[in-house]
Amino acid sequence: MTTTQRNAFFDDSGSSDSIMQLRDITVSFDMDSGESRVVDHANLDLQRNEILGIVGESGSGKSMLASSMMDAIEDPGRLRGSVTYNPQSGEPAEVLEMSGSELKEFRWDTVSMVFQGAMSSFNPTLSIRRHFVETLDAHDYNVSEGMAYAEDLLSDLYLDPDRVLDSYPHELSGGMSQRALIALSMILDPEVLIMDEPTAALDLLMQRSIISLINDLKEKYDLTIALITHDLPLIAELVDRVAVMYAFDLIEVGPVEDVLTGSIHPYTRMLLKATPDVDSPVEDMRPIEGDMPDPLNVPDGCAFHPRCPMADEQCVEVDPRAYEANTEHAAKCHYWDEVDKQIPMSQETSSMDTFAESSVSAEHRTWTEHDDPVIELDDVKVHFEKEESGFRLFSSPPTVKAVDGVSLDIYERDVTVMLGESGCGKTTLGKAAVGLQRPTGGSINYYGDSESGDPVDIWQVRDSDSEDGIKWGEIRKSLQIIHQDPGSALNPHRRVSTLLEDPLKRWQPDMDGHDRRARVLGLIEHCGMTPPESYIDRYPHQLSGGEQQRMAIIRAMLMNPEVILADEPVSALDVSLRVEMMDLMIQLQEEFDTSYFYVSHDMANARYITEKTGGRIGILYLGKLVEVGPPEQIVHNPRHPYTKALRWATPKLQAEDTEIQGDTPLRSIDIPDPEDPPSGCPFHTRCPAAREVCKEEMPGSYAGSEDSGHEVSCFRAVEDHEYWDSEPLGEDGDLPDVFIQN
Amino acid sequence: MSEAPPTEESDVSSPFEITSDIEETRGEKLRKQYDTYVHTPVSIIWSDWRARIGASILLIYLLMALLGPVMLDPVRTGAGGRFVQPFQTWEFPLGTDGVGRDLFAMTVHSTRPMLIMMFSGAITTIAIGTGAGAVAGYRGGWVDNVVSTITDIFINIPGYPLIMTLSLLLPITGNPVLIGILISIMAWGGLSRKMRSQVLTLRNESFVEASRSIGQPSRLIIFKDILPHLMPYAMINLASTARRIIFTAAGLYFLGILPYGDPNWGVMLNRSYQAGAFYRPEAMHWFLIPCIAIIGIGVSLVLLSQSLDRVFNPRVRARHEKRTESSSPMEEL
Repeated sequence: MTTTQRNAFFDDSGSSDSIMQLRDITVSFDMDSGESRVVDHANLDLQRNEILGIVGESGSGKSMLASSMMDAIEDPGRLRGSVTYNPQSGEPAEVLEMSGSELKEFRWDTVSMVFQGAMSSFNPTLSIRRHFVETLDAHDYNVSEGMAYAEDLLSDLYLDPDRVLDSYPHELSGGMSQRALIALSMILDPEVLIMDEPTAALDLLMQRSIISLINDLKEKYDLTIALITHDLPLIAELVDRVAVMYAFDLIEVGPVEDVLTGSIHPYTRMLLKATPDVDSPVEDMRPIEGDMPDPLNVPDGCAFHPRCPMADEQCVEVDPRAYEANTEHAAKCHYWDEVDKQIPMSQETSSMDTFAESSVSAEHRTWTEHDDPVIELDDVKVHFEKEESGFRLFSSPPTVKAVDGVSLDIYERDVTVMLGESGCGKTTLGKAAVGLQRPTGGSINYYGDSESGDPVDIWQVRDSDSEDGIKWGEIRKSLQIIHQDPGSALNPHRRVSTLLEDPLKRWQPDMDGHDRRARVLGLIEHCGMTPPESYIDRYPHQLSGGEQQRMAIIRAMLMNPEVILADEPVSALDVSLRVEMMDLMIQLQEEFDTSYFYVSHDMANARYITEKTGGRIGILYLGKLVEVGPPEQIVHNPRHPYTKALRWATPKLQAEDTEIQGDTPLRSIDIPDPEDPPSGCPFHTRCPAAREVCKEEMPGSYAGSEDSGHEVSCFRAVEDHEYWDSEPLGEDGDLPDVFIQN
Repeated sequence: MSEAPPTEESDVSSPFEITSDIEETRGEKLRKQYDTYVHTPVSIIWSDWRARIGASILLIYLLMALLGPVMLDPVRTGAGGRFVQPFQTWEFPLGTDGVGRDLFAMTVHSTRPMLIMMFSGAITTIAIGTGAGAVAGYRGGWVDNVVSTITDIFINIPGYPLIMTLSLLLPITGNPVLIGILISIMAWGGLSRKMRSQVLTLRNESFVEASRSIGQPSRLIIFKDILPHLMPYAMINLASTARRIIFTAAGLYFLGILPYGDPNWGVMLNRSYQAGAFYRPEAMHWFLIPCIAIIGIGVSLVLLSQSLDRVFNPRVRARHEKRTESSSPMEEL
C-alpha cells in the first residue's frame, strides 16, 4: 500500500481528516462448502463530525461492516484488514491489533454502538438504571457524575429521567427503549457513534422524531455518526454522505443529494425506483428482478451484473474499480457515465424495455361509489379486559379498547387500506372483519352474493349453525388472511404441496389427488415461480421470503375468497421486492375478483396500492377511524391533524432542501396509554390544533372534501362549529407549518 | 366461480379449472414414500456417530430378541456345573449360575419379553401423554380443565405402590405387553403436562391461524399442524421413557413384585443377590451379566436419542432427502 490512492471511498494521501479508516476489510465464515464472505475487501473513510449513511438491503453485509469497526465480529467469523482510528490529538491507533484491555477502553469510550431492536438489547431482569451503572462501573468511571450526565442525556431525548431509569425494559414502549439505548451508548461520551437501524422497528412518527433528535445530539455532543439502514428516504435529510452496499462490498459513495438525484450506479438507481415513495408518480416504480447473491457464490466480475440492464461482457469479466464523477462522488461501475441516460429517475425518456416492467397497467383509477358492499362493519368494538389477580371491589377491570366503534363498508373488488401506528388496533380490526376475532360489540355483516339479499351477522351464523340461509362454511371460505411474516405463516414441517392442497382437500373433497396437484402447480406457475415442479416439494425454509409470501397468497386464493385480510404483507420483505409483491396482489385481484383489506403502517405503500386500484385509505388512531378517503385526498389534502402528522413523518425521496423539516408537529411524541384513553377526541392530547371542546366531545364523521368518499372525524372540517370559538389547549402561537401547507 | 380471461399458459378458462393430464405412476409414488419414511431417517441417524453406535447396539438386542429363542434351547437347571466361569467354554459362553443354568441362554431368552415391555410401555406413554397434552393445550376451556385434572391426579399418585397394587389385582400374569402398559401409567402424566405447555405457545402461531381461517376442524389442526412440532420432543422422551421402563421393570423384578414366566434380567439380579454374589467371587458374574445387559440397552437408547429429534427437523430432512435437491448452500447455515 505504498501508492497513495485517493478517491471518494477512501483517501490514503494523508491530507484528509478522517476519524476512522477501514481498509480491505473482509469478514468471512468457513463453511463446509467453501469460504463465505459477508464483507469483501471493503474500503471506507469516516470523516470527522459527519453523518455517514450506510445503505443496503438485508443480507448485504452492512451490520457486519459496522461490527468490524469495533472489532466485534464473533466466532466463527474472521475479520481481516485494518481499522485505524485517528484521534484529534495523538497517534493513530490500529484497532485490530489492540490488546484486550485497550480494546475494552476503545469500545464504548471512543466508539460506541446503538443496536437494532432495543427491546432485545436490554437485559430484561435489570432496571435501566442498573444498565447505566454497570457500564460506568465496567469502565471505572465515577458513577454519580456519570448518572447525572445520563439524566441530562435522557432529558435531551425527551424522556423523563426518573421514570425511565426506574423502569424495567419491558415497561417501556419501543420508542422509549430505543431512545434509552441511545442514551446508554452515549454515556461515556464517545467520539464515534455507530447506529445499526435505530428506527427499524418503530412507528412512522417515532422514526421521524428520533431522526431529528439524532441531528441535535450530533451538534450538541460533537459526534461522528455512522448510520446503517435499509431505508434510504428516511435518512435523506439527516446524513451528509451516503455509502451504498451491495453484495458485501461498497459500490457507491457520495454526498446525499448527489446520490439521491444523480446516482452513477445502476443498483442505487433501481433501488430508489423500487422504493414506493409518497411523492413520485406511481408509474415510475419498478421492481428489481433477481435476488441478492449468496455469500458463497458471488458472481465474478461486477457482482450486480446478473440483474443489471446495462451489463455486458466487460461487466461479466472485470470487477469494476472505483470510478469518480468528482472528488466526492464515486461508484464501482464501468458505465457510470451512461447510467443517467440508461436508467432515468423519471419516465420521460425511457429505454426501459430491458427493465422489469410492472406487469400491471399503471393507469390511475379513481375511487367511485360502489353499490353493494361485501362486508359491512357496523360499529365494531373489540375490548380486551386485562387479566388481574386480586380483588376489585368497586371499579371495573382495566380494559384495552383495541377497536372502539368503527363502521366501514368493504366493496367488491376494492382495496381498503387501514393505516396507523402500532397499537392503533388495525390488525385487531382486520381480524374481526374476516372472522378470526370475535368483536365484543357491534356486528360484522356479510352480504355474499347479491342475490341472497339481506346481510347476516357472521358471528350469529357461527353460533347458531342453522341450515337455512348462508352457512358458516361459506362465510369461512370467503374470508381469508395473509400474514405479515410468511416464515411463520407456513408450517415449517410441511411441504408446499401439502400446505397448498389443504384448502382443496377441505372444500373440494371430490377432486382427486392428481387434479389437486395440477391445480396447485398451475397456480404456482401463474405467480411467476417456474418450473413449478421444483417448488412443490420444497419445505418453506427452502424458499426465499418473497416466494414464501407468494405461497401464502396462493393458499388464500385457492378458496376464491371475497375478502382477504392482508396484514402488512410486504413489510417483512426487502425493499426491492415490495413493489413486485404489491403488483402481484393487484394482478391476482383482477383475475380472481377479490377485495383486499390491507393493513399497513407505511403511507407510501398504502398510497401505491390504492392509487393503482382506485381504493381508499383509512386512518386509525387508538381504535377509532379518524379519516377515510381516496389516496389523492389523504396524501395531498389531508384534513385530520393526525393524518397531516403522518404525512409529515413519511420520508420523501426528493427533499427540496435537505434540511430537517422542523420539529415534530405534535405536542408529545408518545402515544397515550391504551388502558386510559383520552376523553372526547382521542387525539386531543397530542394535537397542536386541539381546543377545549375537543376534550369533551368526540367528533362525528364529516365530509372532508367534495369527493364523496372522503370523510374526516375532526371539528375543523365543519365551518361553523363551536370549535372555532373554543380555547386552544396547546401553547399560544402559530400552528406548525405542516398544518398550513400541504 | 369467477370468469377470468384466458391465460397464456393453459387452455382452460382460469387456473382454477386446471385438471391433471399426468398420472403419477405407482412406482414413483412408492419411491417417494420409501425416500420419506425409510431412506431419510436412516440417513439422518447414520450421519451422527453417536446415533450410529446406539443404533448398532440396539440392532444387536433386536437380533437377540428375534433369533434367540429360535436358535437356543430353553433354559433348564442343571445343564452344566454350578458357577462355571464366563469365557471358559463354548458350551456356556457366559458361564452358569448357582443351579447350573446357562447364563447366556437366560440373557438371550429374556431379551424378547424385556424389549416388548419396553416398546409397549414407551409407545403407550408417548401416545397418551402427547394426545392428552395436545388436546388440553389446544382446546382450552373445560376440556383443558378436565384433562389437566386427570393428569394431575396421575402425577400425584405414587407410582411404584400403584404399580405394585395393580399388578396384584389385575390378571396380568407375566404378559410383557400388559406389564409395559402398567408401568406406563406412572409415566404419562409428566409428559402430558410438558406437551400441553408446548402446545400453548404453538397455538398462537400464524400458521395455526391460517389453518383456522381455511376452516380446518380442530382435530386436523392438532394432527397436521401441531403434532409435527411436538415430534422432536416426543422422540427424545421416547428414548428416556424406554430407559425408565426397563429400569423400573428390572427393579420391580428385583424386588420380586412382578409376576414372570422364565427368569429374566431382573429376576437374575434378585437370585444372584440372594445367593450372595456380592461377596462370593465365583458368583459375581451371575450378577454382572444381567447388569451389563440392562446398562447396554440404556446406553444405546441414550445415544440414539441424540439423533432422533433431528429426524423430524425439516431442515435436516431436506438435506438428506433425494426428493428435493437443495440448490442453495445457504441452507447449511
